[in-house]
Amino acid sequence: MTEIVMDQTPPILQGPSEKERKYDRQLRLWAASGQAALESANILLVNSGAGTVGVETLKNLILPGIGRFVIHDNALVDEADFGVNFFLDDSCYGKPRAQCLASLLGELNPEVEGDWSPKTKDDSLGSLLKKSPLFTAIMYTYPINHVELESLEQYSKEHKTPLIAIHSTGFYSYFTVRLPGTFPIVDTHPDETATTDLRLLSPWPELVEFAKSMTKDIDGLDNFEHGHLPFVVILLYYLDQWKATHNGAYPSKYKEKTEFRQLVRDAARTDNPEGGEENFDEAAAAVLKTVTPSSLPSGLKEVFEFEHEDPIQERPMFWIIADAVKMFYTEHGSLPLPGNVPDMKAQSKVYVQLQNIYKTKARKDAAEVLQTAQAIAGAGREVDPAEVDLFCKNAAFVKLINVEGGGDTAPIGSKERLQQVLRTEMANDQMAEMTLQPMSLFPVYLALRGLANCGNASADKMQIVEAAKSLLSDDLSNEEYGDLNEKLGNVAEDLARAEYGELHNISALTGGMVAQEIIKIITKQYIPIDNTCVFDGIKSRTQVFRV
Amino acid sequence: MASELTTEAVLAAAAETPDTLLTTSSQARVLMVGAGGIGCELLKNLVLTGFGQVHVVDLDTIDLSNLNRQFLFRHEHIKKSKALVAKEAAQKFNPAAKIVAHHANIKDAQFNIEWFSSFSIVFNALDNLEARRHVNKMCIAADVPLIESGTTGFNGQVQVIKKGVTACYDCSPKDTPKSFPVCTIRSTPSQPIHCIVWGKSYLLNEIFGASEDESAFDNSVDGDNAQEIEELKRESEALRKIRNSVGTEEFPEMLFEKVFKTDVERLRSMEDMWKTRKPPEPLSYKDLFEKAKSQSLDQEKVLKDAQKVWSLEENLVVFNDSLERLSKRVLESKTAGEDAIITFDKDDEDTLDFVAASANIRSAVFGIDRKSKFDIKQMAGNIIPAIATTNAIVAGLCVLEAFKVLKGQYDRAKEVFLTPFANARMLASDKSRQPNPDCPVCGVYQTRAYVDLDKATLNDLVEHLIKTNLGYGEKDFAISNEVGILYDPDETDNLEKKLSELGIKPDSFLTITDEDDEEPFVNVVIAIQEAKEPLGDKPVKGILDPEDVKIPLKPKKQSQPEPVATPAPTNGNSTSNGQNGGVIDLDGDEPTTTPAKPSLKRGHPEDAEGPSVKKIKANDKAADDDIVFIEDSAGAIVIDDD
Repeated sequence: MTEIVMDQTPPILQGPSEKERKYDRQLRLWAASGQAALESANILLVNSGAGTVGVETLKNLILPGIGRFVIHDNALVDEADFGVNFFLDDSCYGKPRAQCLASLLGELNPEVEGDWSPKTKDDSLGSLLKKSPLFTAIMYTYPINHVELESLEQYSKEHKTPLIAIHSTGFYSYFTVRLPGTFPIVDTHPDETATTDLRLLSPWPELVEFAKSMTKDIDGLDNFEHGHLPFVVILLYYLDQWKATHNGAYPSKYKEKTEFRQLVRDAARTDNPEGGEENFDEAAAAVLKTVTPSSLPSGLKEVFEFEHEDPIQERPMFWIIADAVKMFYTEHGSLPLPGNVPDMKAQSKVYVQLQNIYKTKARKDAAEVLQTAQAIAGAGREVDPAEVDLFCKNAAFVKLINVEGGGDTAPIGSKERLQQVLRTEMANDQMAEMTLQPMSLFPVYLALRGLANCGNASADKMQIVEAAKSLLSDDLSNEEYGDLNEKLGNVAEDLARAEYGELHNISALTGGMVAQEIIKIITKQYIPIDNTCVFDGIKSRTQVFRV
Repeated sequence: MASELTTEAVLAAAAETPDTLLTTSSQARVLMVGAGGIGCELLKNLVLTGFGQVHVVDLDTIDLSNLNRQFLFRHEHIKKSKALVAKEAAQKFNPAAKIVAHHANIKDAQFNIEWFSSFSIVFNALDNLEARRHVNKMCIAADVPLIESGTTGFNGQVQVIKKGVTACYDCSPKDTPKSFPVCTIRSTPSQPIHCIVWGKSYLLNEIFGASEDESAFDNSVDGDNAQEIEELKRESEALRKIRNSVGTEEFPEMLFEKVFKTDVERLRSMEDMWKTRKPPEPLSYKDLFEKAKSQSLDQEKVLKDAQKVWSLEENLVVFNDSLERLSKRVLESKTAGEDAIITFDKDDEDTLDFVAASANIRSAVFGIDRKSKFDIKQMAGNIIPAIATTNAIVAGLCVLEAFKVLKGQYDRAKEVFLTPFANARMLASDKSRQPNPDCPVCGVYQTRAYVDLDKATLNDLVEHLIKTNLGYGEKDFAISNEVGILYDPDETDNLEKKLSELGIKPDSFLTITDEDDEEPFVNVVIAIQEAKEPLGDKPVKGILDPEDVKIPLKPKKQSQPEPVATPAPTNGNSTSNGQNGGVIDLDGDEPTTTPAKPSLKRGHPEDAEGPSVKKIKANDKAADDDIVFIEDSAGAIVIDDD
């Protein structure tokens, strides 16, 4: 056991480049892999209306360094733009807004390539979509026209492109993320402390051997050695002791665990100058969390039980690896070992040995999964070992987004779905006073969609309310939804007065939220909103719905 | 196509009381402290929302690593003032707005209480605890509403602070920050931790963490940044030479001369940076080495004492010794054909020794206190991740809270948190918290006094202000400042001294602690103001007439403090103390009972308030471990540091 294994990702071999230093603060969040994904992203913004929220969103994507963007905007710059759009000034007056914005946004980051459309009278969104390199994600802002919206939806369906709708009017906004089918995330960035998996109740032979060799004469160790036994070794030793006096069973109930914890505490030496031992304190503190049999986490269970329509060889690599992990789990009764060891009191040499034991086992598990995955994929497809490693490390935290609900949930995007959500929200509102919960923001969402459907900036309050209600049903009975009329009316009144005007501040804030979600989707890291987020700027509140 | 409205018109349409809001926001004079991540966004939002006059204060210059989010800055602005460049850029968004930029430290004397009180709202867009605390204290003293905000990675929060109405920044204890902005680390360190982070994240990394690669500087050279790129190239070449010398006899001297002499001299030549700071002093290896030699220091012995603060010479010995050990490891790995890379690990003695010694030598260069290796091990920390999106969200929330503040709707003001990892929402808001009655900053009675600093003695202050104007009469009380006790019934030596001799300056704060057992006043903080016109026969004058001074009583009955030093602070549990009323509290007599509630140690700042003042006196000077003082010229805040 001489090989020293690097903890976590090995450090980069060359010095930090200028680019790495520029992006230093974000690389700490999504690492080089996330940055590479961003840098290869090609984003389309279809801008309309006041146009601020789209520009603010794009700004927040250009700064961290997406590869390329295109702005499609049919408007010419006029006076109204100057109040809300921080970029545009007098010199832009009368020019195509897309051109001015693309040029000014491009200045924010010279590494990002920018383009705009339409450049001629014959250019349309349709022709842009046809001739452009494949878009990674498309966002559009309201009030988009029907023709353009349809061509975007068509494109999204055809190319499995995420489509993001953004609407900001007055003090209100929402955005909806439409992902192409089920969206799995491996790199969910769980809390670091949550990822520790020490397998104390199912140790493998090398770990058992190591612990035994350190503790075979535990009482004969001198104070230094005894005070530097790693807590993992201490727990393994006393778990054996416990088993010997408890018919071979591990402590499982809470009471047993606290008794076991006391056993460990009592084993610390107190006749030393410190009057106690830090490593034994660590061991006792770790009992409740680490002396637990491993179980299948719900996120992964959902992955394992997901029903597919396509044959396994044709699925994305995620599913092939997932299947291999599932086979691993079925065979061994546990997931592949993540392999990380938390910091603990120990002699450096011993700690490195312990790390090696965990890393070696993790590598062995990952190699087995890789082999299985390769067999499933077949000779024609190469399985990337790095992808398998990442999956094995994060297996317990893998998450599926945008899963079409089984059973009684209506399909995403349907009228029935809206009705279902509305019923739940209105029922919650009736309880709101008792439970001290704030009122639902769903009426805000409905009113904004109603406004968009009016297709007319001078729509009045009643028109907006009616348009909102017709989203739900052609024939909505008032009794069914209680005071919905009044709630819609309150929002609609504000919206009617705003006449599709955007507040810079609300749009800037919304642009921050939308860009954050797009980054999660592009990098496939962290868990994105599923699927609609509504913002109320009067109450400084958001609420997420699945509609 | 929709008819689009101006911001003002939409505001008017959507806001609940449009007229007042519009008038107030365009007339409002606001201050933004910090023009970094949140600041850039916030300035844009304020200007486009129609705030009429915005003052911007920031002492930092622009760094390459700012450009991924601070969108007002470009590559050609690197090393320029954040405040000035931000003003320039944002001015274009709204030529009608008046933006005033100050490239300065918010703690400078020019930004006094009077200046703070000229603003309708102050926005904190800061990145460090120390400045946040300072602005908080000034806003409480000037009674100006403060909108406090911060971000870390995907997390962020916004809080409205209004004296007496909502909790202030110091109403709840804050953890000491573990991370720092890079400009502080690389150019303008002011605390030991800055030098420690430099040693750990910069120096160790550059020398042992990664090897140089020429391709790193190949790209993006154009007219404007050519000089900067050239500078970086030179720096990296100098470093590479040193790296290649790892293991040679000259290595320690080369490295020392590079980072503690050449680089320091270059930094020192940027005069603008040292207008309000003490410039760094370059060191000479040879001089120091000779001194160390003459003391015949033994590294084994030095290293053994990790609790002791090493002398500069001792640090050099450890610097050389740890370099030798690290170099040996590098050479060994190279011979074995392995990657010769060493990363910091607090348990890796070689790296820790190197970081401790380098940090301490750098501290000496910048005139900062050195720390023991034991302390340095604990203090080594990380850099805060920061992204554009979080800043955009937080800045937007700040402006929304500002609307409520302008309308005086503090009941509707919210404390908003970004909750990026909660599934069902992105923001969570809470009602603003109530002020903590025991807060050392806002839980005190604040007043001001005009003083003729050339004439006034401490006795003048006691007789003409505290006893009469403030109504202490024959009460027993103590006066303290950031250094310690200036006066109490047993400590009267200072009475005849002039305030100026006691280090009291304009905008100094003095704390008056009522030592009466019966119905004591809350602590009173007096901000000293220089008299602008002659004060007549008395060189001290309160700003209020005696009948307008209404100092509240301490909210809870304290136990009868024994006039001796008690080793444990009083039990801070408000309910038990409050309900005890006249019942005998055992704290003073039986200190052993207090550790029974250790969990309260953090939650109650008053643990540090009353009793700690006692402790200063009893223990003679601020040698006590349990308290620290905010060390700035004007501060008199005592905070718990347990």
